[in-house]
Parts: sequence; C-alpha cells; structure tokens
Amino acid sequence: MPAIILENANKSYGAGSPNAVSNLDLEIANGEFMCLLGPSGCGKTTTLRMIAGLENLSGGEIRIGERVVDSISKGLFVGPEKRELGLVFQSYALWPHLTIERNTDFGLRLRKVPKAEREALVTRVMKALDIEKYRGRYPSQLSGGQQQRVALARMLVVNPGVLLLDEPLSNLDARLRLEMRAELKRIHAEFGTTIVFVTHDQWEAMTLATTIAVMNEGTLQQMGTPNDIYDRPANRFVAEFVGSPPINIFEIGDASHDVVGRHAVTFLTARLGPDADIGSLGLRPETIQIAGSADAVPGGSFADEAVVTGILPTGGSWIVELTSGGKKTFATANEAPRQKVGDTVWFHVRPAALHVFSRDGQRLERADDVLAQAAVQ
Amino acid sequence: MTTGNAVAPRRESGRQVARANAIPSPAWTCRLRYRLRVALREPTTIIGLFAALLFAYLIVVPVVSILRDAVTVQFGDERRTAAEVGSLTTYYLSRAFTSPVAANLFWQPLRNTLMVAAGAIGIAVVVGTAIAWLICRTDMFARQWFATALIVPYMLPAWTFALAWTTLFKNRTVGGQAGWMESLGFSPPDWLAYGQVPITLILALHYAPFVILLFGSALRRFDSQLEDSARVLGAGRGAIALKIILPLMRPALMSAVVLIFAKCLGEFGVAYVLGLPVKYDVLATSLYRSIGSRQTGVAGVIAGAIMLIGIITILIDAYLVREAQRFVTVGGKGAMNRPARLGIWRWPATGFAAGVYAASVGVPLLTLFLSTVMRVPADFSWSNFTLDYWIGWNLPTVAMRTGILLSPDLWQAAFNTLWIVGLASTCSGLLGIITGYVVVRTPVRPLAAVLRQVTFMPYLVPGIAFAAAYLSLFAVPRGPIPALYGTSLILILALIADQMPYASRAGISAMMQLGRDPEEAAQVVGAGWLARMRLVVVPIQKGSLMTGILLPFISGIKGLSLFVMLAVPSTDVLTTFSMRLVDYHYTQAANAVVLIIAAIAYFGTLAAQKLTKTNLAEGLGS
Repeated sequence: MPAIILENANKSYGAGSPNAVSNLDLEIANGEFMCLLGPSGCGKTTTLRMIAGLENLSGGEIRIGERVVDSISKGLFVGPEKRELGLVFQSYALWPHLTIERNTDFGLRLRKVPKAEREALVTRVMKALDIEKYRGRYPSQLSGGQQQRVALARMLVVNPGVLLLDEPLSNLDARLRLEMRAELKRIHAEFGTTIVFVTHDQWEAMTLATTIAVMNEGTLQQMGTPNDIYDRPANRFVAEFVGSPPINIFEIGDASHDVVGRHAVTFLTARLGPDADIGSLGLRPETIQIAGSADAVPGGSFADEAVVTGILPTGGSWIVELTSGGKKTFATANEAPRQKVGDTVWFHVRPAALHVFSRDGQRLERADDVLAQAAVQ
Repeated sequence: MTTGNAVAPRRESGRQVARANAIPSPAWTCRLRYRLRVALREPTTIIGLFAALLFAYLIVVPVVSILRDAVTVQFGDERRTAAEVGSLTTYYLSRAFTSPVAANLFWQPLRNTLMVAAGAIGIAVVVGTAIAWLICRTDMFARQWFATALIVPYMLPAWTFALAWTTLFKNRTVGGQAGWMESLGFSPPDWLAYGQVPITLILALHYAPFVILLFGSALRRFDSQLEDSARVLGAGRGAIALKIILPLMRPALMSAVVLIFAKCLGEFGVAYVLGLPVKYDVLATSLYRSIGSRQTGVAGVIAGAIMLIGIITILIDAYLVREAQRFVTVGGKGAMNRPARLGIWRWPATGFAAGVYAASVGVPLLTLFLSTVMRVPADFSWSNFTLDYWIGWNLPTVAMRTGILLSPDLWQAAFNTLWIVGLASTCSGLLGIITGYVVVRTPVRPLAAVLRQVTFMPYLVPGIAFAAAYLSLFAVPRGPIPALYGTSLILILALIADQMPYASRAGISAMMQLGRDPEEAAQVVGAGWLARMRLVVVPIQKGSLMTGILLPFISGIKGLSLFVMLAVPSTDVLTTFSMRLVDYHYTQAANAVVLIIAAIAYFGTLAAQKLTKTNLAEGLGS
C-alpha cells in the first residue's frame, strides 16, 4: 500500500503568479526513502508542506494511506495536527523556551502519554540519537548538529508513519553533514519509517534515496532510482541538473562544428531514419577518454581532435578542459593527465555512453537501443 | 489468465473514470466550500474579523465622524447657515478658509505651524548632524556618555522645557510669579518670552535626538570602504564629506526631517504654554480653541486639514524610504569605525556637545527643580530655599495649602494616570500581538491587509485631531452607546486607538521574527490552536508583549494632546493636572508635577530598555 498519493496536485499563490506546483502525480510507497530533488523555487518544499498540511491545495487531491486528507472536489481538508506525520524543518524550529527534554516530549504530553511510558520513549529516542546528555539544556546552548538531532528526536518520539524532512542538512558543515546522512540512513532502517526528503543537493539525494523525484518549475521531471536518474535522465533538465561537473551538451544545429556531434548524428540517422528528431547529445565528463593521437582512439568510438585549454586538479581527480572548434568540453580523469595545456589531443567516447535528446529536450529512447547494440558490435 | 485479462481493463477503465471526474475543475460552490473550510479551520480568521470590526469602530468611525462634522450643519448653527441640523453645508469650510475670521482660525495658525516647524527642523538638523558626527566619527571626549545623554530630551515631555522657559523668561505680560530674569532686574521682551522664538527653540532641542539617532545610525552603518576608495583616488577630506558621505546620508536626514515635521504638526503643549500669552496660535491650539468655543464644524475642518497635511507628510516619507533603498550602504566588514582625529578641536567639540546637553537637559531640569524649592525666583540666599512646595502643609496660600506630594489631587491624578494609561497600554499591547498574529497567519490575505492599514491610520492623524474626532463621536449618545465624554472609558478607547500604530507594528514584527516554523512544528506533532498559543506562541512572545505594553505606557504618561481634549477634572491625569496648575499659575506645583512625569518617563524608558534589551532608536516615534 502506498503511504502517500498526490493526484493532480496544484498549488498557486493567487492568480497571476505562476503555479508553484502544477499537475503533480506522485506515489510514495511504504517504507520508501523518497527524495524530492530540484533547484530552489522548483516547488519541492511546497510539495512537502502540502503533504504535511501546512499549505492547502489549489487543485487535486492528497491521500495518506487510505485517508483523503486534502481534496477540493470533496471539500475536505485535514489539518496538520491530525495527519500524524513528522516534519523536520530546515531551520530546526526548536522551541527556544523549552529544554531539550521538553522539546522532545512535547508531542507525547499533548497525547497525554503516561509519565513512565513517556520517559521511556524519550530516553530511547534520545539514546538512539545520542542527545541524552543535553536533556536539561536549552536549544540555544546546542550546536547546529545537536539541534538537528533534537528536531529529529522530537518527531521520531511520536512514531509517525511518515517523516518529512525539509533540507535538514543544508545548515550543517561538510563533516557533520556526512555523519547525519549516515545517521538518517540508519534511522530509516531502524524505525522503518517512510521518509520524504527535500533537497537541492544531488549528492545528498544520490546517497540517501531509494527513489528520487526530480522537479523543476513546479512539475515532476522524472521519478526513479538514483541510478536511473543518473544513467537514463528522462530529459535535458534532469541530465544537466544531476552530475558534477555537469554533463557536456552538444547542440545539433545546422552549422555544427563539432565532429563528435556530426559523427553521432550520421550514425544515428543511418539507423533511425532521417526524421529521427535529434536535438542534442549529452556526454558525461567521466565517460570521455583522452588519447594522445588519432591512432590511439579505439575503433567504434566517436572522436574529435581538441586542444587542452585547462587542467584543474580537484584533489584525487582532474578536470580537463578541451576546446575544439570554439566549443569547450569537460572531461574528468582519475589519474593526472599526461598532457599539458596547449597540447593537441583526441577525445573519444563509447557510443553507449551517449545520451540523445529530441528537439524538445526529451530523452530519445529509440536511440538507446541502437547505441547499446553499437557497443556490442 | 482469462479472469486476469478481464479484470485488468476494467480496473484500468475504472481508474480512468475516477480521473475524468477529478480533472475538470470542481464547481465554484465546491471551491468556496473548500476555501471556507480552510479559512475557518482555525479561529485566527474569526479573531481577525472581530479585531477588524473593533478597529473600524475605534479608528475609522471617529475619523469619518469628524470629517462629516466639517460639512454638516451642527446643532446651534441653524440660523447662521440657514439650514437644518445635519444637512450638508460649506459654511464651515468657508468660515475656516475664506471668511474674515479665516486668518485667525486657520491661515495664521497654519503659517505659524509651518514657521515653527521649519525653524525647529533647521536648528535640529544643524545641531543634530554635528552631534551625530562628533559621536560616531570622531575622537571627541566622552562619546559614549554623550551618545546616551543627548537622547534624554526626547524621553522627557516637550512642555517640560516650555515650563522651564517660562520659569526663566516669563515677563509682566502674564500675572503670577515673576520669571527669574524679571526678578534679576532684566525684563525679557515678549518675543523672547513667548511665541515663535521659544517654541521653535524648544521643539528644535526636543526633536534633535531624532536627527542624532537616525543620522547617527546611518553614519555607523556607512561602509568606510566607499570612503577609502575615494581617498585612494586622491579625494581630500572635504571632497569626501561633500561628494560621498553627504549624498549617501541624505535619505536618513530627510527621513528625520519628515518625522520632526509630522511631530511638530500635532504638538500642542509647548505652543499652549508659550503661545497663549501673546495669542500665538498654531494649528493644534487653534483646533483646541475651536473645540473649547464649541465650534465643532470649524474644528472638523481644522482637524481635517491637520490630517491631510499629516497624510501628505507620511506619503512623502514613504516615497523617500523607497528612494533610500536605491542606495543601500550597509557594508559587511567595511563598516569599520575609524574616528577622525580632531586635534586641537577636541576640547571645543566636547564643549559644544556639553553646551547642547546643558541647554537641552541640564538647565531646564535644574531650573524646574530649583523653582520648586525656592520661595522667590532667582534669590539664592539660604533662607529662600524651602521644601514647602513639595511636602509643606498649612501654607498661607488661598488654595493648594499643602505641598504637592501631600495634595490628594496629585495622588488622584497619579492613580488615574497609572490605571488609565496602564489599562490602555495593556489592551493595545495585547491587541498589537493579536493583530500581528492574524496579519502574519491568516490565510485570508485581504483581512491581513485591512488590519495592517487600519491600525496604521492613527499615525497619520496627530493626537489632537484624533482626540477631536473622539469628542465629535462620543460627546453625544449614539445608538446603543451612551455619551462617553467625561468618563475614563473615552480616554482609554482614544489611547488604545492612538497607540495602535506602534502596538500593531511591534506585534507584526515580533510575529514576523518568530516565523512560522516553531508553531508549525507544534502543529505537526499534534498541537491544536489553543495548545499552540498556550505552549508556544505566548511564552516565546512574552518579551515583545512587555515592550508592546511598556513603550506605549511611557509615551502615554507624557502624552498631553489626547488628554487635554478628553479629560475632565474627575478624570485628571498627571499631564492635565499640571496643565491646570499652569492655568491657575501655581508655578511651583506645576513644575513639580512635570518633574515627576519627567522622572517617570525617563526611568521608565531606561527600565524598558534594560528589561527588553531594545534600542531607543526602535522605540523612536512612540
């Protein structure tokens, strides 16, 4: 049974302004770790807040489990206090006037849980999150990472069926963020909660999620496993948003300079027919190989001659900037490149590594099979 | 296999049907029902509606009422206007603007108001900018001390200084105890003792702190990298001051100017004390006279004119603020404060600041104090000093036969002040927080806008005009409401309305600062509206609530213009009590009461600052 269903959900903040969320269909399965990923202003936080009941819909319906919680056609709206969810805010939103213990047992007290049981629950969650020693302190006396744990504990203690997290790691420093990521994964396993997580950080999404939903301008772009999203982006937006350094895009114009593009188009039109509707090609930097000369290029690859115009070490790996025909292409290498800036080289890719997009930016599925076969040949 | 095949399409089609029902946008009745449900799910909107109704009654209705008085025939004027009571007339407009008495009623007071305001602004700006610069950007001695000390004039009621002035410069034009100058054998001419010159000077000294605070804080935030860039390019100090600093400071300065103008417009006490003896009227006193002589229609016209000028001023201010955003000079690390070296000018500069302090705080307060412990003015022999005016009894006077501290009238007035102003401030503080809550939280945006605008309205209306409006509305029974004039209720209601702009501002900004998160977090873990109020919002906002009550309380204690219109002897508060004493020429007693008020206002402000850790600049204008 799916934990949460959004059906044709819409949200607008008044006529005139563009929809914050439009026609969103989303199914979140029980026990899933779902990540809503997208640039700021893409509607991911609005979506989360609609699930929580902190925003109401402008159209469509939301169901949690069996229960309709928000529906315009049914004239129904269930307030956030009755949805039995947990929500961790980006700002943590701890109550500054209450101690850590009172922050944590707030929900239990509201539910009139007997004292002994309450203390047992609080202690268990506090121990699990390693914040028991701060019991008597106030939020302002805690560091960001500790506050974060309290915010989590406060929600976990009432054992919500679904835990919503709104960019919870964005205010932490890099090391703490790594620790908390592992922590979240552990909590997901230990408490078995369905988690919906909002982030603009692709690495966070990749490392944590079982399913990623990529959003842009209020609409769902693609939903799939992290590998799906990275390896088979459904459109140009997903391809360009996910991946760092970003994917290289070769526009297929009439006056295309780049040889790789022309090669690939010739190759594809020969197999797909002249009306193949190829708009652009995408090449992930790590799939690009560099060879010193044309002879070193393996057969069956698409290749082009280029000048090395920059080598940027990033610690353990290198980004190589290649220029050919005025166009810049970025490749990554895990070993120090033997070339120097100014050298002429050949860069090449295997056909299977190519992402082909139609003129309106959608992934050209037909091309995938053709390219996969090319690799076999 | 077959059943599976048969079931699948049906399920598919069933799903399709459901979707087909969901997709066409629901009927508007559905939408309305949904929206109502969302809006009324929590009491916020209902409370907001009640608050809006209350404010409409407390604020909008009085203003409309006095404006209507200006154009309808008033009781007793039927013969003069040759029309029935209540019918429309231009009689009052023409009487105030074009009749032979118009010069006395309106034009001369308007000219006087503008002259006084212009003079006060000029002096305040010159003195204030100089002081602000000395405090913020130089190595003058005792800068920290001056930074606080020179703000003190603003904490005291303006007419404290008017009374000090009369104590010093009063001449034979007016009866009663002679002024010090007169007693020392020098008879001050009328122009020095009363009217434009002293009013202008006193208002200038009273409002100079505006310039010091606003200009000073702009100077402090000034990014000195901008200055350094000019210096690197070879600009001298004069060129930098003229071409870089001054243009960037213009918005802050203009803002202070507009604020002072708006305050001068409604200033009553100073003009009343110093203008009356030589019939020097400003708009506020002219309005007071019209009310006093029962010319309600003309009062309506003058009040309307004051409001109009007030509104225009505020609009100009709003425009300037928008302009000011074009140059944001808040620098990150650039805002280092590198004081200019004054060199040999260090002592003269300190002397100047000390002089301003002496003129605006030291001399007036000392004069007032000395006048209450001396039998005969300006006689410094030991036998002339007495505490009789404070704590004496069986004094050989016609009335006021006890010292002021032993007079039951004082304690009655003090008691009235405390409970009337206290109750009103508590109400407006609470209403302010409620307004803030509704404005920030209600899903019904138009309601938020209405509340914001309506609570701000009294700001556009100087207190004296507002009091006139209350008088016009509540002097007679209307509908179910009995005549309120003479009761303390009218004072409380008028005070609440008058304080709403600050109270609602404070409430809105407090709620904005709190943000939604803490409350939403409580909502998510299952707290309903009441639980959230009780456990989260009110405990967190305790501090702002205190400020929201204390600051209006202090400004209410020293406020005069509202009370002077609406109070009667049985509802005397300290300010009107001291005015009555001034009218009866009990100089010592009046001065003593004013000193008491000044002390309460000053220590109250300090306490409020300590307690709430707020800066005076924030309470500016209240």
